[in-house]
Amino acid sequence: MNLSVNIGGLALKNPVIAASGTFGYGEEYVKAGDIRWFGAVCIKGTTLAPRAGNPPPRTCETPSGLLNSIGLENPGAKLVIEHKLPWLAQFDVPVIANISADSREEFSELAGMFAQSPYVSALEVNVSCPNVKAGGIAFGTSPDMCYEATRAVRKAWEGPLIVKLTPNVTDIKAIAKAAVEAGADALSLINTLVGLAIDIHTMKPVLGNVTGGLSGPAIKPVALRCVWEVAQAVPVPVIGMGGIRSAQDALEFIMAGAGAVAVGTGLLIDPEVPRKVTQGIREYCEARGIEAVRELVGAARR
Amino acid sequence: MSAKQIHDVDAVIISLTNIRGNLYTMSLRAPAIAETAKPMQFVNIALGDLSDPLLRRPFSLSGIYPDSGVIGITWAVVGRGTQIMARWQAGESVRVLGPLGNGLDIDELDTSQGLLLVAGGTGLAPMIPLVSRALAKDAEVHIFYGARSADDLLDMGGGCRVHLATEDGSIGFKGLVTGLLEAFLDGGALGDGKPTVISCGPRPMLSAVKRICRRHRLPLLVSLEERMACGYGVCQGCAVPSARGGYHRVCTEGPVFWADRLDQGECTR
Repeated sequence: MNLSVNIGGLALKNPVIAASGTFGYGEEYVKAGDIRWFGAVCIKGTTLAPRAGNPPPRTCETPSGLLNSIGLENPGAKLVIEHKLPWLAQFDVPVIANISADSREEFSELAGMFAQSPYVSALEVNVSCPNVKAGGIAFGTSPDMCYEATRAVRKAWEGPLIVKLTPNVTDIKAIAKAAVEAGADALSLINTLVGLAIDIHTMKPVLGNVTGGLSGPAIKPVALRCVWEVAQAVPVPVIGMGGIRSAQDALEFIMAGAGAVAVGTGLLIDPEVPRKVTQGIREYCEARGIEAVRELVGAARR
Repeated sequence: MSAKQIHDVDAVIISLTNIRGNLYTMSLRAPAIAETAKPMQFVNIALGDLSDPLLRRPFSLSGIYPDSGVIGITWAVVGRGTQIMARWQAGESVRVLGPLGNGLDIDELDTSQGLLLVAGGTGLAPMIPLVSRALAKDAEVHIFYGARSADDLLDMGGGCRVHLATEDGSIGFKGLVTGLLEAFLDGGALGDGKPTVISCGPRPMLSAVKRICRRHRLPLLVSLEERMACGYGVCQGCAVPSARGGYHRVCTEGPVFWADRLDQGECTR
């Protein structure tokens, strides 16, 4: 039974990835879970300068979901490249660096910095963070701007290039096509959906930043629909994410057209999710005589 | 290469009791956690396998018994999660992730001039394992403990000097525990002694304790409560402003902080 997949030049021993922002840089995760169950890990969204993040409260539980507004808290690319990535390399799991920027120039500079690191297997361009004022989601809501950001990274980075898309758009296919035209080797979808929670006791929004990004099982049907639409619209592989907690969830995404999947909110609740998902996919395939998980990609559309 | 220090265990509920009113306590069989947990650490408890409620709930350990492999959790029913837990029964098994947070290592704590604990409501719970270890070290321990009413007080073991305050005056000093603490310190009861103060309770109480300790030049540790998603450091959701700008994670850098490491905005939100 073969679990390996290839996502735009990134070879994974299994199709389960740690979603950006739910894994930090691995230092905390390894105390609670076994990193070797991941096909790859995606680090916390990293910016050129350090970011303190948004004022608390930063999270709020919602029906079958989690609303968060962390605000890209990170120590900045220099520290990540010099300290976090060399440490993470000891585990021998491919590392995807998620990068976020306010401008094309900054995207280009960041990509150039990560290109100098021997410890990065792929870049994921974050054009979909809903929780920062400048940049972030702005690049992911217009095909032209998505093209510009992707192009800037493409010129500075030769390795596998993934663009992470937001579902907060009218036509996600148009954005996806623009990213691919600009040189993306793969697409991640979806980032969180913009949401709001109100506290009737304080008569105020719950989150310090007012709005936040919704994740978890509540968004799974939206994410599946996005994967379904995009996978048939572009010639590159798609990484599916949004509410995956079990092998069944992961298989649904793969059958909708995802070449790999990422676990995010599920990881916050259960550090052992990657093992459970990977083992469950294997059991499913073995029970049906399926020799490679690759055979299942897009199975629901055939 | 396993660096695992945090365990996700199926813990059997040995006993679950309604103390009185909305206060509950349970003991769980969780040897992997009990053997390594320090006082003031916490665990993140799954409410079930369903997706709603989705997140685990963090609780400090009110009991740590390494020899028998048992941990204790004490809580007040304040919302949906704690209500679900109140309906659990002995014999059931629940998923518990821990131990989490920094906690306090009694051997690294200066107890030579005693400990002065200030607790509000269920903020007493995490102090219970600390008290027993401090007493085992022959430290003198004062506890200032406040609640709304006598019915809201948790039980505590003997061996320390207890100063009770209730807002309705049903037992002890009538008023806030911080008023009782202030009167005690202003009265010079400690002489030249400089005990380490450790406080856990509502944020306004912690802010008042911080002001009082600053005035009396007493070192203060506070244990913070915060809503959490992961509880183990990856989501950065439980941020509290740092004195040096930026934020600390309550789950990882805390929940116990030297009060001067927290922002001048005191301990309130």
